[in-house]
Amino acid sequence: MQKIIEIKNLSVGYGRKVVVSNINQQILRGQFIALIGPNGSGKTTILKTLSRLISPLAGSVYIDGKELINLSSNEIAKKMATVLTERPNPGLLKGYEFVSLGRYPYTDLFGRLSKEDKDKIYEALRLVHAEHLSNRYFGELSDGERQKLILARAIAQDPDVIFLDEPTLHLDLKSKMEILNILYMLSRKKGITIVSSIHDIDIALKISDTVWLIKDGRILDAGPPEKIIDEKRINELYGLKEVCFNSILCNIELRLSENGSGRPIFVIAGAGKGAPIYRAHIKRGYRIITGIVHENDIDYQIAKTLGLEIISEKPFSRIKEESIKKAIDYINKADFVIDSGFPIGSENMGNLMLIKYAIKAKKKLFSLRKKEELLKYMDNADGIIFEKVDLFDQNC
Amino acid sequence: MKIRQISLFLAFFIAFLFLLTLNISLGSVSIPFKKVWEIVFFHETTSTSGSIIWQIRLPRILFASISGIYLSISGLLLQVFFRNPIVGPYVLGISSGATLMVALVMLAGIGINISLVCPFLLSVSAFVGALLVMLILVLLSSKVKSIETLLIIGLMMGYLCYAVTSILVVFAQKEKVKGFFLWQMGSFSGITWKEFSIVSFLGIAIFIGLFFLKKPLNAFLLGEEYAKTMGVNIKAFRILIITISSALSGIVTAFSGPVAFIGLAIPHMARLSFGTSDNGILIPASAIIGADVIMLCDFFARNLFSPIELPISAITAIFGAPIVIGLLLKKRMII
Repeated sequence: MQKIIEIKNLSVGYGRKVVVSNINQQILRGQFIALIGPNGSGKTTILKTLSRLISPLAGSVYIDGKELINLSSNEIAKKMATVLTERPNPGLLKGYEFVSLGRYPYTDLFGRLSKEDKDKIYEALRLVHAEHLSNRYFGELSDGERQKLILARAIAQDPDVIFLDEPTLHLDLKSKMEILNILYMLSRKKGITIVSSIHDIDIALKISDTVWLIKDGRILDAGPPEKIIDEKRINELYGLKEVCFNSILCNIELRLSENGSGRPIFVIAGAGKGAPIYRAHIKRGYRIITGIVHENDIDYQIAKTLGLEIISEKPFSRIKEESIKKAIDYINKADFVIDSGFPIGSENMGNLMLIKYAIKAKKKLFSLRKKEELLKYMDNADGIIFEKVDLFDQNC
Repeated sequence: MKIRQISLFLAFFIAFLFLLTLNISLGSVSIPFKKVWEIVFFHETTSTSGSIIWQIRLPRILFASISGIYLSISGLLLQVFFRNPIVGPYVLGISSGATLMVALVMLAGIGINISLVCPFLLSVSAFVGALLVMLILVLLSSKVKSIETLLIIGLMMGYLCYAVTSILVVFAQKEKVKGFFLWQMGSFSGITWKEFSIVSFLGIAIFIGLFFLKKPLNAFLLGEEYAKTMGVNIKAFRILIITISSALSGIVTAFSGPVAFIGLAIPHMARLSFGTSDNGILIPASAIIGADVIMLCDFFARNLFSPIELPISAITAIFGAPIVIGLLLKKRMII
């Protein structure tokens, strides 16, 4: 890919206050770059400097080989468009008129729109699927519809690069997905470079070609998210003590402050059957011990991200005696045991031993499977509380 | 432009012609409509009616309508510039500057000898006052970061001028204070063709500048930062807006004293009736509505308690404020 922006020794900030310094990066044509980092780390400041809203404190930015500060405002406006977090309030403008403002750098002294300008406006409206909004007042639209028009205005500017500051802020799931899809399409199909700060790190990692991790006044690291992001990196970036991000699942779990301080319970899990039980019970303050799960099991990944105590087994191996013994120790201490209804196969047969033990030890045992299924594997299922009881019901 | 907007323009223009005739026709001496047109078309100046129309009523009403146009456009520019719907042409202290200078002349008697040489002493001093305030603002405009700061500076200038003026009032002679107070309320009485030609001549120059403002003004609807990313030269734009809006309101104030309310309210009436914030339409729309409204107000100012004439600001406020409140209750206040 062709290089479009080069940043050399750039320091950004306001007045004398340096916010991020020593930035050395290259941006390629059609690349999708996500800026992630904690609040106040300087993402907005970087974006504003790159779009020349504020001047750099040191260093330089080159676009197509020319230094940014040497270009006229009009030349810059033809090369790059910006979408700020501050939502504009243009009064009584209709969708079409709003988007037409993006043609500013191309129109004549009186702002008259040529045939080409009009075509570009309609194309921009089409690209964001907002043709139906062209005759409606901007003020009457929902946040999601407005954001589409804001994006269309930037597209109408016909830029090579679009800078965006939190483009999905305050949007519902559907609008968020639409906006992200439009951005993705712009970078892939139109070859427009997208540089955007995104607060949802899971989304940022999934959509971007390159992420810039910004913290403590510098760029911590930059590169493809698949290469540079792991749990440690995310914890370092946001200053977290505990893992709550899972780089395999690209998933964030909520670490509640009271996790693990309540009564202990034991969840026999596997193949994702444990995950909803973990989440339902962690909210109610239980201390959850789970097992015996293989390290390649989805329940293992979720339990790890939730920070549970796990009795685990190496991938694709049979459950060992000592793991069963360890689990039994925990079962003895637990208030009650939950059989999550995990599928039973040759490798996790050992988990049946745990159910049998719980029956024998007269532990309070809930099971999320049918009685008949369990009776295939064991002689009696006395004392087990079956599906009748809704474990996810608050009153339980 | 849509059919609705074209018909609105037409309607306001017909209203303009009607109000013009009405104002020329009625007064302490009534002249029938038909005769009015005869006198105007054939430039008949010899009869009593002819001289009343050509020497008193026509210059006065034309001046009034031009004042309405200037004040409305001045208000429109500042509302968009400050992105604030309650801003008017006098918000930057323009009228306070003019008032202070007039107070210096009328109350403190400074430069009273010049009046023998210059018949427009009051007007000149008012214009100088407006110009001084404008110059300070232009100088500061490129220094301050945000537009809000500029707005506050304007307000503070207003307070400062007002403070000095009030001190002058305290030490002034009683008779002079009444004259000064009436000047402050604004009036179009005594306007002749001379004043009219000065105002329209200066206005033409300013209107040329206005043509180049429509485009950046629309970009400014999105706020200063967006305007900047679209290629608007912010520094030049700030200077141009302050200069044009101050000059427009300064000229009017110089000859008629401050006229309240028009500059604040007319842009809203234009926006709501034409249903757009596009300044390409709002500039002519505010102009024609401003002319209509101010003519109507002057009509009442002259005729309500004839032969006593009311100050124009009193009428503009009494008529306009309720209309604006009504309009705004229906729709939100918008720029």
